[in-house]
Amino acid sequence: MLQVEELSKVYVSGKIKVQALKGVSFAVTKGEFVAIMGPSGSGKSTLLHLLGCFDHPTSGRYKLNGINVAGLNDDQLAEIRNKYIGFVFQQFNLLSRATILQNVEIPLIYAGINKKRRLEIAREMLEKVGLEHRLDHLPTEISGGQRQRVAIARALAINPSLILADEPTGNLDSQTSAEIMDLFHELNNQGQTIILVTHEEDIARHAKRRIYLVDGEIRYDEVTPS
Amino acid sequence: MIWETIKMAVHSLKSNKLRTLLSMLGIIIGVGAVIAVISIGAGSQQEVTSSIAEMGSNLINIRPGTSRGRFGRFSKAAQNVFTMELAEAIVDYCPSVIRIAPRNETSGHFVFAGNNYLATLTGTTTDFLVINKYRPEHGKFFNNYDLTHANNVIVLGSDLAKELFAGLDPVGRKITFLYNQHSLVFNIIGVMEEKERGISGDLNGSAYIPITTYLQVISNSRYINSFLAQAASSEVAGAAVEEIKYLLTKYVKDGEEFNLFSQDQLLQTITEISGTMTLMLSGIAAISLLVGGIGIMNIMLVSVTERTREVGIRKALGAKKKHILTQFLIEALTMSCTGGILGIIFGEICAYVTALLGNWPFVISPLSILLAFSFSLTVGVFFGIYPAVKAAKLDPVIALSYE
Repeated sequence: MLQVEELSKVYVSGKIKVQALKGVSFAVTKGEFVAIMGPSGSGKSTLLHLLGCFDHPTSGRYKLNGINVAGLNDDQLAEIRNKYIGFVFQQFNLLSRATILQNVEIPLIYAGINKKRRLEIAREMLEKVGLEHRLDHLPTEISGGQRQRVAIARALAINPSLILADEPTGNLDSQTSAEIMDLFHELNNQGQTIILVTHEEDIARHAKRRIYLVDGEIRYDEVTPS
Repeated sequence: MIWETIKMAVHSLKSNKLRTLLSMLGIIIGVGAVIAVISIGAGSQQEVTSSIAEMGSNLINIRPGTSRGRFGRFSKAAQNVFTMELAEAIVDYCPSVIRIAPRNETSGHFVFAGNNYLATLTGTTTDFLVINKYRPEHGKFFNNYDLTHANNVIVLGSDLAKELFAGLDPVGRKITFLYNQHSLVFNIIGVMEEKERGISGDLNGSAYIPITTYLQVISNSRYINSFLAQAASSEVAGAAVEEIKYLLTKYVKDGEEFNLFSQDQLLQTITEISGTMTLMLSGIAAISLLVGGIGIMNIMLVSVTERTREVGIRKALGAKKKHILTQFLIEALTMSCTGGILGIIFGEICAYVTALLGNWPFVISPLSILLAFSFSLTVGVFFGIYPAVKAAKLDPVIALSYE
């Protein structure tokens, strides 16, 4: 489902070149739950941006659902994100002035789905994460854990091939973190492919496979020891 | 999609009401000023026009040309043809002219009971009354019988009646007119109403006798000093002028030797002047529209910066450049158009109040409303496009990490 070959990224700022990724190769098949780990500066954010189709690699190939993403322009990348990737961020990234229901609707608006169907899907997704009673609340009126559930509902709305989660529990207490991770587990059990970026060992343990990055290279890629 | 974007824009503007209102204020004032100026201009112009029309916008003054400048003698060639026969010819051959009145004048002293008053004696016909919408207030005006018989009758203007007859009823009495060492006595048969100045000048300070009497006893000639012609309507006043000109060239053979002056020309001049004034004032008012546009751009730029994160989120969720661009552009347009509509209402209210105070008609000009609205739309696009492009160009990675 997802193939990465010799992916590299060089950032140029002024005269200084920083090679954030040095030829990374791996593949993820449907239904996998992968954690990308590494200390800060290891290139995991860069890899996340490339996998999330936010950025163009300097060299290498990235295929998502058979599409060679590396050659696409910004608007085409936006379409790929809209169709195939559901994002869950550390900062939740909900629109603070829109209700929870409206937040979940957003990716569906850009997918060109009509209002009636959008509301159906958004309600269904919020029910799935257990927030069906908070539809008209603003993000500021609910707890952090609930906000992350909204973000997950929003990610699921477009029925993504891949969920990309960037430190999804970074702003949550351990109790809530565990609940969110349970939710990810459940989704994965239903066949959802998930890639999780984290530096926390406790969180990474929930994934079935771990890719460990150091200095822009894969140090190890292994099945999580149980 | 566009409908969704408009709803998003309205939602976003509503969540920041005070700021939205303040940034719309420039447009409201600008559009309001333009609308008010145009509407007030149109109303006051209509007032001036209708008061001129009331004097008779279809009146034409015909006089012989003067040689050697304005104060020279009347051109002999023209003077020879200025007779009552010419008046008949004009009415007969100029289809746009419905009636014509001669007007011969001379000034002299009117004497009654030892008092004298310097005023004008006018010789004319009954048509003079119709043309000037002038009526006797007391007694009567002379009639066709008096005209054919060149009767010794006189009708006094209101000033004359007031000055010489303070309190007395002049009708039935006799008045003496001293002129060139002649002394003429007339029987007073009527007193005219008071009349405002018009194309015929001040009518109140004159006394009126039949033209036939005038030609016999005053000038002792056949010549008429000037004619006052009336066109069928103000629409054909121009045509009437042309017809009379054409006819006169047949008689005089030299177009330079007579003068035609129509009320219509005066009207045109006034319309032109007030049009220029309105245009100039609207131009000044339009500058505030420009300032209003800059205000909107300023707020939109602030808004883009503030909502960098929102743009990042939307882009992450699949918004393309055009989606972000339209979202911000429509926000700017919603502001400028709402401002435009409020400005039109505000401007019309101002114009209405001014019309009430100035006592002239309240005129709504649909063209100016259309113009003001499309101008505010243009302002919205022009000043909204830069912030919108700026938002659309934001890199989602950087936008998402923006605090």
